[in-house]
Amino acid sequence: MTSATETVERKGLSPRQRARRSRGIQYAVLVVLVLIAAVSADWGQIVSVFFKPQFIKEAFQNGLLTALVKTLEYTAGAFVIGLVGGTVLALMKLSQVGPYRWIATAYIEFFRGLPAIVVFIAFSLLPLAFEGMTIPWDPYGVVWLALGIVASAYMAEVIRAGIQAVPKGQVEAARSLGMPAGLATRKIVLPQAFRIVLPPLTNDLILLVKDSSLVFMIGVAADGYELTGFGRDLANTEANLTPLVTAGFCYLLITLPLGILVRRLEARTERTR
Amino acid sequence: MALVEIKNLHKSFGSNHVLRGIDFSVEQGEVVCVIGPSGSGKSTLLRCVNLLEKPQQGQVFVRGEDITDPDCHLDAARQQIGMVFQQFNLFPHLSALANCTIAQRTVLKRSPAEADRVARANLERVGLSDKIDAFPAQLSGGQQQRVAIARALSMDPALMLFDEPTSALDPELVGDVLTVMRKLALEGMTMLVVTHEMAFAREVADRVAFMDGGVIVEQGPPADVIGDPREERTRTFLRRVLDPTHVEPT
Repeated sequence: MTSATETVERKGLSPRQRARRSRGIQYAVLVVLVLIAAVSADWGQIVSVFFKPQFIKEAFQNGLLTALVKTLEYTAGAFVIGLVGGTVLALMKLSQVGPYRWIATAYIEFFRGLPAIVVFIAFSLLPLAFEGMTIPWDPYGVVWLALGIVASAYMAEVIRAGIQAVPKGQVEAARSLGMPAGLATRKIVLPQAFRIVLPPLTNDLILLVKDSSLVFMIGVAADGYELTGFGRDLANTEANLTPLVTAGFCYLLITLPLGILVRRLEARTERTR
Repeated sequence: MALVEIKNLHKSFGSNHVLRGIDFSVEQGEVVCVIGPSGSGKSTLLRCVNLLEKPQQGQVFVRGEDITDPDCHLDAARQQIGMVFQQFNLFPHLSALANCTIAQRTVLKRSPAEADRVARANLERVGLSDKIDAFPAQLSGGQQQRVAIARALSMDPALMLFDEPTSALDPELVGDVLTVMRKLALEGMTMLVVTHEMAFAREVADRVAFMDGGVIVEQGPPADVIGDPREERTRTFLRRVLDPTHVEPT
């Protein structure tokens, strides 16, 4: 009767049969592509360039784990600075005092808009520009500062959103009990705000782990190498990519569990809502 | 001297003139219920008593001290005024006990042991001794509101403000909260209650004030204001509230 019926009759396939055929074609294409890759690629070459067991072993012997610890140390310190700085900036941005708001906004927009690597290059040039200038706790001080400055700009916006997500009634309840504004912020608003922003803050932590790779721009000494610096150095020496790939997998060792943690936290937030 | 004295109070939100010159007072030990249609300004009046809303004009005296004066120690004045909100506003990150101790410890500087003792006594007073360690999310609406009452009582206030305390509750939970409030009134607590519960107002209040259009239209003993109102506006409102299915003849 209708054109739809005619179409079905012409092709002789029901919608279900057509869906099955479409899926079959997709699998077939995939299998063909994999086969072509498997046959045409020089697997021996690939393994020896990217995954050579000898160099993986060498990476471990030359201090891969030390570099992993350095990455964690750089990230952790910067995260603390970012958290404290971000909280201060968020409170400034919500301040009743205009100049505080302007300063915070200028800082946040400046360091969010700037590629992190520019900040790192600037820090690498500081000792040249200001002769004799030193930042304490070398190399930690300079790394934490450079990473922390960028991180605090990102985290400030997240924390501000969290503070504003705390219902107004919470502040009213606290103030009605006689709490001064500062006390209400510290005891009532901030604990709830941090709970709300835990998932996005963990995302920022993941970004920070990866940004710590920019440390090699500052030019730290070899014993201060984190994963990327270490991997690049060894890969250069051996003219083989295996050490860099190994270092890369170490990043995944940190970021993948954090990613799972974020999804868990998000699910928890979703449930309690 | 009245515990609370309000003189010529005006409050606007933008062009919306919500309070249009209120003169009102609450005596020590008195239970006053404020009734009236929604939008009449009853909640705003209540929120002006502890200055959660800042009036544009007029004065609020608490124990003779003008709390609208910018030099007044507002936080100190608020310690004497407990407030119970329609939406409870319990602190969700704290247990029932901690909700009742946090302001005692940080504002009144009571020792942890002392704060704990007062909080437990007040949670028992509202019938929640078995929920001391529960978090707000684990409690029913009625239980949350009773914790909120205990939290306010733990500051040993001279006055309790109730802002429609049962309006957000399921009907079967209203009774528990009203029972606690009735008990408080019997114990002699000074209470200012904004409510839609006419039976409660008639039974518990020493005085009922009817508000409409930002003014107090009439006030007096509940038997007069609810039982035999003078003003036509009061009568119309009470007809609607007490007999919601009644259709006005046109």
